[in-house]
Amino acid sequence: MEGLGLLGAGVGMGLAALGTGLGIGVLSGKAVEGIARQPEAGGVIRTTMILGIVFIEAIALYTLVISILLWTKG
Amino acid sequence: MSAEAAAEEGFDVLHHMAPKVLYDLRIGDIDISITNTVVTMFAAAFLAAIILLWAARKPKIIPGRFQSAVESIVLFVRDDIVITMMGKEGMVWFPFLGTIFFFILFSNLLGLVPGSNTPTARLSVPLALAIVVFISVHVHGVMKHGPIKYFISWVPSGLPLWVWPIVFLLEIVSAIAKPFSLTVRLFANMLAGHVIILVFLSFVLLFGTYLVAPLSLPFAIVMMTLEVLFSAIQAYVFTILSAMYIGAAIHAEH
Repeated sequence: MEGLGLLGAGVGMGLAALGTGLGIGVLSGKAVEGIARQPEAGGVIRTTMILGIVFIEAIALYTLVISILLWTKG
Repeated sequence: MSAEAAAEEGFDVLHHMAPKVLYDLRIGDIDISITNTVVTMFAAAFLAAIILLWAARKPKIIPGRFQSAVESIVLFVRDDIVITMMGKEGMVWFPFLGTIFFFILFSNLLGLVPGSNTPTARLSVPLALAIVVFISVHVHGVMKHGPIKYFISWVPSGLPLWVWPIVFLLEIVSAIAKPFSLTVRLFANMLAGHVIILVFLSFVLLFGTYLVAPLSLPFAIVMMTLEVLFSAIQAYVFTILSAMYIGAAIHAEH
């Protein structure tokens, strides 16, 4: 069974990108709604949004590290 | 090397990301060779110091173009990161966080220069920065509240007594996970971003023909532009998270 690690790396990274994309999409959509409704709170909402995006993104990045490990193992 | 020859002997992206040793240097078994990563890191620190000192050389009431450009970045770090996350008493940490911000910013940006090697895309540099932040957080917390009160403040008040050990263990895990996630976030972002530029450029070598160049070069340019943006965002994110962790240790009064 040659190359199963590569398959795992690719599929895992794709799934992680799917989840992260959904998460960041929902988050920024809600943030835009909030800023449109209350423009004077824009600064606080933007900072909170970036913090949230950062935490969501970190999960995909863990997957990226695992994928790189699998990739170098072959 | 021509495109055809490279395609024949196989092209390895990871190989091109590895640091190149410029000057071999060892103390016993410890390898402290000067690689192009180290040179980039020194250049980043040097450049940041030069630019900041140059801007503050003769401060004027009505700043010139250069001074006001640097001033606006420093003010952004002070107002939007330090004051927002830590309040007025966090100003003690402003020099530390400002240094971290400018070092990461210049490291990330210099990593985009051809021939250099991004220091923040090696695991060791972000790890060292995150460990410094980790020590700062807990030393400051213990110094401000005393060891016993500080560790008690980890557990939210109003919990029944038997939950305490479990919550305390969870908090220890999360305290260790924080520097780990700081490290991986900066490292993986910079590695992935800079590898993507390389991958787009190396499509020419992978396919062994220059016909893909008109397609892959514009993408590489777009990714380069995005990477400049991400370099700034990642410096901002590392600094704001450090400020948040230190701020939580200062205000540990619940």
